[in-house]
Amino acid sequence: MTIATAPQTAATVLQYRDVQKLYGDFVALQGVSMEVKKQQVVCLIGPSGSGKSTLLRCTNALETIDGGEILFDGVRLPKDRTAIRKVRQRMGMVFQNFELFPHKTAIENVIMGPSTVLGLSDEASRDRAEALLKKVGLADKAKNYPANLSGGQQQRVAIARALAMEPEVMLFDEPTSALDPETIGEVLNVMKALADDGMTMIVVTHEMTFARRVADHVVVFERGEIIEQGPPKQIFEAPTTARTRDFLGHLGWDG
Amino acid sequence: MTLDWSIVPASAGALAHGALITIALTVLTMAVAVPCGIVVALLRESRFKPIAFLATCFVELFRNLPIILVVYWAFYVMPVVLDLSFSPFVTGLVALCLNNTAYNSETFRSGIRSIRKGQTEAALAMGMSEGQAFRKIVLPQAWRRVLPVLATTWVTLFKDTSLVSVIAVGDLAHTAMQIRSQSFRVIEMLTAMAAIYWLLGYPQAKLADWIHKKFGVTE
Amino acid sequence: MDFNFGPVIESWRFLADGVRITVLLSLSVAACSLTFGTLVALARRYGPKWLQAILIFYIDSMRAIPVLVVLVWFYFAFPIATGINLPPFLSALVALSFNLTAYVAEIVRAGMESVRPGQVRAGLALGMSTPQIVRKIVLPQAFVRMMPALGNVLTLTVKDTAIAAVIAVPELMRRADAIAGQTYTPVEVFSTVMLLYFCIIFPITRGVDIVYKRISFLGRS
Ligand SMILES: Nc1ncnc2c1ncn2[C@@H]1O[C@H](COP(=O)(O)OP(=O)(O)OP(=O)(O)O)[C@@H](O)[C@H]1O
Ligand SMILES: [Mg+2]
Repeated sequence: MTIATAPQTAATVLQYRDVQKLYGDFVALQGVSMEVKKQQVVCLIGPSGSGKSTLLRCTNALETIDGGEILFDGVRLPKDRTAIRKVRQRMGMVFQNFELFPHKTAIENVIMGPSTVLGLSDEASRDRAEALLKKVGLADKAKNYPANLSGGQQQRVAIARALAMEPEVMLFDEPTSALDPETIGEVLNVMKALADDGMTMIVVTHEMTFARRVADHVVVFERGEIIEQGPPKQIFEAPTTARTRDFLGHLGWDG
Repeated sequence: MTLDWSIVPASAGALAHGALITIALTVLTMAVAVPCGIVVALLRESRFKPIAFLATCFVELFRNLPIILVVYWAFYVMPVVLDLSFSPFVTGLVALCLNNTAYNSETFRSGIRSIRKGQTEAALAMGMSEGQAFRKIVLPQAWRRVLPVLATTWVTLFKDTSLVSVIAVGDLAHTAMQIRSQSFRVIEMLTAMAAIYWLLGYPQAKLADWIHKKFGVTE
Repeated sequence: MDFNFGPVIESWRFLADGVRITVLLSLSVAACSLTFGTLVALARRYGPKWLQAILIFYIDSMRAIPVLVVLVWFYFAFPIATGINLPPFLSALVALSFNLTAYVAEIVRAGMESVRPGQVRAGLALGMSTPQIVRKIVLPQAFVRMMPALGNVLTLTVKDTAIAAVIAVPELMRRADAIAGQTYTPVEVFSTVMLLYFCIIFPITRGVDIVYKRISFLGRS
């Protein structure tokens, strides 16, 4: 079974049905319907302010939605606090600004989840953290504080921190946008490796090369709506709407 | 225990007089300590090292002493050293001024320092003189940082004036405590004293908050 | 002008004991204010509305009333009103803590507000509960960021303990007054005590600066 064929047959992990999100009168999301299957990598692209981050935040209930529904593993996202926490524990999230905890070393950042939330023993969470830091190529930086790590290294620690919860799906919100050009590659490589391992991922990104090479499915947002979605080949080589073509054209993307 | 609050209206005149002295002390101290603070801040930046050093010593000394001690010190030591006698009011005023000049000079210094060098350089590059650059570029920007701190200092000063009561300046605290010891209406007088300070101080604290909101620079 | 430091030197034990009480009172007040100030700040942020209103009133009132007034009220009026008699040291501890708790609460609140919302989101995304996030993420960073302000409170505490002389707490200021009165050498006594206070307070100011410079990165997200 190749990775390319896996998504078609696998179960649905996340399903969005007609999702709506309002900030006061402002419509941040409107009629958003899409599906994320197991082991699939879905990339969300679109202009700034189009609602991509909002969709991610709604996905792990950092924001509540005002219409439609989001199903995680076939179950509607709960409203009650403890149930929400349980759901969040099954999703990992990576932020644009890393959001590492500055008062904790790299390894302590990774340990935080397993020890406080999963209640793992010190030893077990440390073992897990060490393995994950090794996986993202930072075994030697375990004792560094975030202030002593480069942006790319910080983001890799943040990925390890999210993975430490052994999530079923990873949410990435522009993980490379705050990075210096020379460190973007190391983060994208880690993400590519994760995808190859079969992790289910939703990635908001402006890295079109990454979307094209790694994504199974690309979703284009504009003004809170999905204007087009499909396999990367279709989106990048034969976009069906003029607005997608416009957006890609603005990025200087010429197929 | 019976409370007899009639002592409070009966002493209204004396208390009002005390409150007036408290306010006078606050206003006069600030009127002296702001210009003096600026001068000391400039002296600290002086190119003539001994002067800068002396100014620094002055600031560090008075910033790191309890005001009540400065009050006592001014009361006992100043007349001996200067061979002059002052009224308690003037003595209290001097003590408060010494203390607040030190605080204000720090406020001004950090206000001026907070303006990036690039701003001065940009002004000089436009052909302004150093004086012009300071007056037209640095001061207006520094002001926004200085004003909120001065407002906080003002409220603190208003409360600190109560400390000169220990050398029998007839301010609000001293007056109220005098009446207390003469009338033995302890709870009534002390509560009234607190209430009057509250009535005077609360609006000032709120005003300071407002100034912080309006002018405060958040990094 | 003739100076006579004899009396000061002869009563050095008496003064040294005053220093001990000043330091003891300062540390006790600082510990109490830090504990209660943090609790008040938390209650003000997460507590029920009515409690928040009371706490805001309390904090603003403490910003408006002089410490001396609080101190004198607790020492003279409080025992008559309640029948509870406290020795001067305890009165001072209660009154000064009551006053400084409000300041600490304000500082802690500002510190917590200055922690970026993204940090809370990161904790939520890990599935942490709000109490866990406050304890493990927000407060530790807030305390690092608050260090300069808390250092100020510590020096303010030492300065405020000098006011406790007014209610006869036998700390440094009170003892200076006593010796000056008995020996008629106020110039020598008060100048010496000035130096002593400076030697207590100045190192705190500097020490906090130095420590903060070294650890400020722990609070910078
Ligand atoms: N808390 C909020 N309150 C009000 N409006 C908000 C809030 N959060 C987001 N918005 C608005 O919702 C819209 C979508 O924001 P979102 O952050 O999802 O955009 P985005 O597609 O992620 O953009 P970017 O590429 O810049 O990150 C924006 O116009 C934004 O101003
Ligand atoms: Mg975004």
